[in-house]
Amino acid sequence: MERGKAAGSTSLLSKKVNIVGEIQGNEDLHVEGRFKGSIKITGNIFVGPTGVVEADVEANNITIQGKINGNILARQQLEIQSAGELIGDCSAQSIDIKEGAIFEGRSQMLRPKTSLASTQSGTKGHPK
Amino acid sequence: MGLFGKKDKEQKPPAVSSAAAPAPVAKSHKRETTLDTTYFGKNLQIKGNVSGEGSLIILGSFEGEFDLKGRLQVAQGARIKGDIKATDIYVNGEIEGAVTASEKVHLDTTARIKGGIATPRLSVLEGAQFDGELKMRNQAARTSQPPSIGDQKGDSKQASPSSVTPDKKVTELK
Repeated sequence: MERGKAAGSTSLLSKKVNIVGEIQGNEDLHVEGRFKGSIKITGNIFVGPTGVVEADVEANNITIQGKINGNILARQQLEIQSAGELIGDCSAQSIDIKEGAIFEGRSQMLRPKTSLASTQSGTKGHPK
Repeated sequence: MGLFGKKDKEQKPPAVSSAAAPAPVAKSHKRETTLDTTYFGKNLQIKGNVSGEGSLIILGSFEGEFDLKGRLQVAQGARIKGDIKATDIYVNGEIEGAVTASEKVHLDTTARIKGGIATPRLSVLEGAQFDGELKMRNQAARTSQPPSIGDQKGDSKQASPSSVTPDKKVTELK
């Protein structure tokens, strides 16, 4: 639903490029190279087949076709495709792990905000 | 119509087309579809070190070091704070730091550079701002400068004892 939101442009980290550091911003990111550090974006991340990410990653939708080594937070969906590899813990609202994918770590599901709000209003309902 | 076409062809001096080579600057924006050109959009802030090969286009902000084998293009609106090394560098944005190119640097009309530039070839368009030191470095020429120039020319013409002369220089320096 919100997929199109940050899709104004997609940044690309190409195959033969290494980055050590941190990335922030409001943009979609496609990683085919190597990245080490941390990524925090309000957009989607696609780690392509040659992409290697050693970082904590926070994004809306995360799709892994390469490798991620680190903890990830997908505000919406995490998808590990059959060639993908995730070593680390993940939090996501929904997960899609294809057959053949590698995932080592803990998984925690995020509840949609609407249900959170309803539980909060529920607690408010108890004055005592 | 046919006549006009012929005239146009005749009017074009053939030398211009080869001289106006910097045209690929505009093209490379569309090259992002291929996966060779790294592209950092304008809403992206990056801190850290970037190294590698290939061409790279920056529209956002970057803080750190660059060491790239290939073309770096700093687009209008982009901000870079840090030292930059690349084969050739096209600047249309802001850079604060040392810019080092092994082939050439091109400053476009909206370029703003605060810091040093070191490059064998430089082109600057009207409107570009540059505060700092420029080195058109030619390392071979520079190393041969310090000793008296006249003697050296003689040596290099003989060419055969060229392997000896550098040793002499080293001992002199010590």
